[in-house]
Amino acid sequence: MTDLAATTATHTPAHSAGDRVWLGRVATWIVAVVVLAMVLFPIYWMIVTSLKIPRDILRTPSLWPHAFTLENYRILIADKGFLTNIVNSLIVSLTVTVIALLFSSFAAYSMVRFRYRFRGVFGRVILFAYLTPTSLLFIPLSVVMAQLHLANSLVGLILVYLTFALPLATWLLQSYFRSVPRELEEQAMIDGLSRLGALIRIVLPLSAPGLAAVAIFTFTGAWNELLLALVLITSESQRTAPLALNYLITSDVLPWGPLMAGAVVSSVPLMVLYFIAQRFMVVGLTAGSVKG
Amino acid sequence: MTDATIAPPRRRSYRLAAFAYFLVLPVMVLLVGLVGYPFVYAIFISFTDAVVGNAGKWIGFANFAYLAQNPSFLSSIANTVILVLVSDGLKLLIGLGLALLVNQQFRGRGIVRSFLMLPWAMPGFVAFLAWRLLYQPIGGGLSLALQALGLNLGIVDWLGQRPTALPSVIVATVWRGFPFWFISILAALQAIPKELYEAARVDGANRWQQFWSVTFPGIRLVVIVTALLSSIWTANSFENVWLLTQGGPSDATMVFPVLAYFGMQTQRIGEAASVSVATLPVLIILVLLATTLMHRDED
Repeated sequence: MTDLAATTATHTPAHSAGDRVWLGRVATWIVAVVVLAMVLFPIYWMIVTSLKIPRDILRTPSLWPHAFTLENYRILIADKGFLTNIVNSLIVSLTVTVIALLFSSFAAYSMVRFRYRFRGVFGRVILFAYLTPTSLLFIPLSVVMAQLHLANSLVGLILVYLTFALPLATWLLQSYFRSVPRELEEQAMIDGLSRLGALIRIVLPLSAPGLAAVAIFTFTGAWNELLLALVLITSESQRTAPLALNYLITSDVLPWGPLMAGAVVSSVPLMVLYFIAQRFMVVGLTAGSVKG
Repeated sequence: MTDATIAPPRRRSYRLAAFAYFLVLPVMVLLVGLVGYPFVYAIFISFTDAVVGNAGKWIGFANFAYLAQNPSFLSSIANTVILVLVSDGLKLLIGLGLALLVNQQFRGRGIVRSFLMLPWAMPGFVAFLAWRLLYQPIGGGLSLALQALGLNLGIVDWLGQRPTALPSVIVATVWRGFPFWFISILAALQAIPKELYEAARVDGANRWQQFWSVTFPGIRLVVIVTALLSSIWTANSFENVWLLTQGGPSDATMVFPVLAYFGMQTQRIGEAASVSVATLPVLIILVLLATTLMHRDED
């Protein structure tokens, strides 16, 4: 608002400039509050529904629960065995994140630091792979995984999740590595480190915020994935969190209470990550879409 | 610096190149195997009558000829086009508006920004399950909230009737997707040097002229790239429609990824693959545009 104040002050009498600043601020606040209400209401509704007594949800709908209960969470965990699904999701997402971070940092470093034939081609391959949608790949991938006898296993799921994790991680890491000054590495190598040593001891620590952001994006992508899991996983014991919730909505009467409890539980890991690492994520996201 | 002259240059650069290839190799091998091969394979089987467990035989364009008269496919294409154009248009307007809002100095803007990002930070499947509940005719939060605001529409089955089904899917998709636009545009706005605005003011430009001469050029590239990326993702999104309506009622919200998934459940994978492959020409154009813009300042 200081910009606006400066502009108007030069062209109009001082008191009306003050009024306009004040009015602008009020308008900004009103818009912000209305938008926030629209953004937050679905989240509020999800949480409140998960805390309502199951029979209240449809029979006596209300914006505020008549009584709070953790019954839905008990049903979800004790009767539906949702913790198994959360553990499966954690195994898959963490493994995908570690593998993607390791291989992608090697590849990104190579493409940023060295000049060689096919480097440009590799860069294109990364981008094309990044933009190739799962909706095209899920049918052939299910055939390939069946041939490899990896269908219906978490290992198979980890492997197919690399289709989006590797390109995303490599693409994002390239822009982080570019910002590490080459001189630092050269100095370290003069001091006796090998190339690989320079990568591990100099480049990676200096890119730590970038690595954190990429880890979160990769984890999030794997945590949220539904289509490939739906196609590949057939047995109940191997279901991930989104898959388990998906199967809760295939019945005629939807168990909204446990379903929303599951939605809340599935959101917790991502919300924790988001509030810890918001700053990194915003930088990572924008660096990933457009550099500069 | 002396070792450069001691080591034979050719040998040294050869070893460096080998090292560079070695580093990039695992990612390339995995991507060729897990993206490249399936990509080609999808195109190949779309020209066959393959079923699960049987490679089938080459049938030329028969699958595509069948699609061209399949009402589900035709509505899935129409719905996908509407979904992409309307929801990405809305995401642009909302994202730009909110980015301009949050780009101002006011108390609490950090909190506003954090909360605006929530729909994007939470899992997509959670978002769409929450919206499915909101849209329930009885016990859904939307009708209750509208009632509380004085808008009593009675019992509306938002997702269950033709006129409201697709708009409802679009609203949920916009809710989930606008933060990506918002944060991308906001970052671009913050990268515009303040001096440019001062210079424009010195030249006598009003707010509107400042927007077109300074703000707009500053965010144009970001908006274009975001539009391309978002269109690709929206066009190929599965979980929004799947979790809200599964394409119903009677194909009113059918989109091609859901249709391909249904096709796969019939075991006729050749025919199912042709659904996605049929959309490839458009996808390839979007991807080429996006990669060219994203790759541009790299070398």
